[in-house]
Amino acid sequence: MPQIEFINVSKEYEHGSVALDNVSFQIDPGEFVFVVGPSGAGKSTIVKLLIREEFPNSGQILVNDEDVSMIPQEHVHDYRRKIGVVFQDFKLLESRNIFENVAIALEVTDANDHEIKNVIPNVLNMVGLSSKMFMYPRQLSGGEKQRVSIARALAHEPDILVADEATGMIDPDSSDTVVEILEKVNSLGTTILMATHDQKIVDKLKKRVIRIETGKIVSDKKGGKYRG
Amino acid sequence: MGKIWKNLKANIKREKLLTIANVFVMTITFLLLGTLIFVISGSQTALRYLEQQAQISIFFKDDFSEENILGFKSRLEEDGRIASVKYVSKNEAFEIFSQINKDEPVLLENISPSILPASLEVKALNIGDLRVLAEEFSQVDGVEEVRFFEDIIDRFKFWSNVIYIIGFVLVAVFSLISYSVIIATLRTTIHSKGIELEIMKLVGASNAYVKNPLVYQGVFLGFVSSFIAGVAMVMIGVIMKLYNMFDYGLTFGFLPRLYIQPLVFSLLLFVFLIFSGCLLGLLGSYTAVKRYLKY
Repeated sequence: MPQIEFINVSKEYEHGSVALDNVSFQIDPGEFVFVVGPSGAGKSTIVKLLIREEFPNSGQILVNDEDVSMIPQEHVHDYRRKIGVVFQDFKLLESRNIFENVAIALEVTDANDHEIKNVIPNVLNMVGLSSKMFMYPRQLSGGEKQRVSIARALAHEPDILVADEATGMIDPDSSDTVVEILEKVNSLGTTILMATHDQKIVDKLKKRVIRIETGKIVSDKKGGKYRG
Repeated sequence: MGKIWKNLKANIKREKLLTIANVFVMTITFLLLGTLIFVISGSQTALRYLEQQAQISIFFKDDFSEENILGFKSRLEEDGRIASVKYVSKNEAFEIFSQINKDEPVLLENISPSILPASLEVKALNIGDLRVLAEEFSQVDGVEEVRFFEDIIDRFKFWSNVIYIIGFVLVAVFSLISYSVIIATLRTTIHSKGIELEIMKLVGASNAYVKNPLVYQGVFLGFVSSFIAGVAMVMIGVIMKLYNMFDYGLTFGFLPRLYIQPLVFSLLLFVFLIFSGCLLGLLGSYTAVKRYLKY
């Protein structure tokens, strides 16, 4: 059974632009999938639909056989706890230190202090930032900030990790580190869906690549490359 | 509880000036409300006191005998509109007069009981019947003069009503201002916490987790303001007790036989203000969350 399934999904925004046009694909548990394409192709829309920030105009999105659009509003937070999200702009709070930034993911689940103190050093260790847990975001490089963002996404041990242009604002060396971490997370069984237009990384990893252009899937290849 | 308090302190610290302005305006609202309630109760107590005094005095001609007056008194006692009738003889009238003018012996030397008229002091069940009763009494044979307090009571009622209306308008206006200020404060909090709320949402915070701290903030502002006003009301109650004001107690028109000691009254008012403050805070914060938190 696929873990993520888009069935004939279309999404048109209010101003009339078509972001996705009848898109269908499946992702199995434990897969590492790149969604690639030029800016405005619809990559971020796939991420937004998956975390239910947006609703499709037609079609179905199933995650673990559950129709995402049909999840009642009062249970959306439970659904989101199963999906970790990493953004291009990191979305870190400047007023909180690294430990606190990661802890927010557990605080919202009403985890107790003991649990938070146990989990956070482990996830920070996983992304190689355990020595900087009491520093503030302004004291970190772009790559380190993105690793904090990954640690936060991993804090509640999600089944799926979605990264939207996670290497878009960091230097090539840091991008390699970020991707290495994502590979490590994937090797532990977490499904990874990474929207990117970073050709170097896609070509290096040789994972499944779904190429999307003007809202339509133009290719879907395992062990693929950025250009097909 | 620790987490709620921590969030609350952080939000208040972030919008210090707005919080102070909010508490200031809301405190004025609750001070006005508390004072208005005290004034209403005080004036109603005074009105009830006035109503309990002799309302109509019927003075009789000298040639109208005591026997006739007492016969007239008996007839009045059977009248369903009348609560009580008291006979004041010429001698009793002289005693009262002497008591009032005890410091003026020259005046008293020239007055004898025969000069003063005998009278009946009548209390009506309904103060609205005073004028009709007074007119009826003035037409009775042997009646020299009829005096009644309708004018005083009417004037008192009129000014009480003016105070009530002005007070209610002030309370309504300030309640509206307080409500708007709460919404403005929370709107600022929501905007300043924009990214934090967005992150919370993305990492799986429930609606209640995001909204409750904002609601608590509104309730807290209402609580602090009403607490300050409530303490001021209790101080008024203590002063009333110290100076033995309204010793018999304060009352409300709709609770005819209930008299509450001023200090107890001020404590009840304190509880009422706290309740109103929390309610106003709750309503304001719910409105702000509904209007500005796109969640």
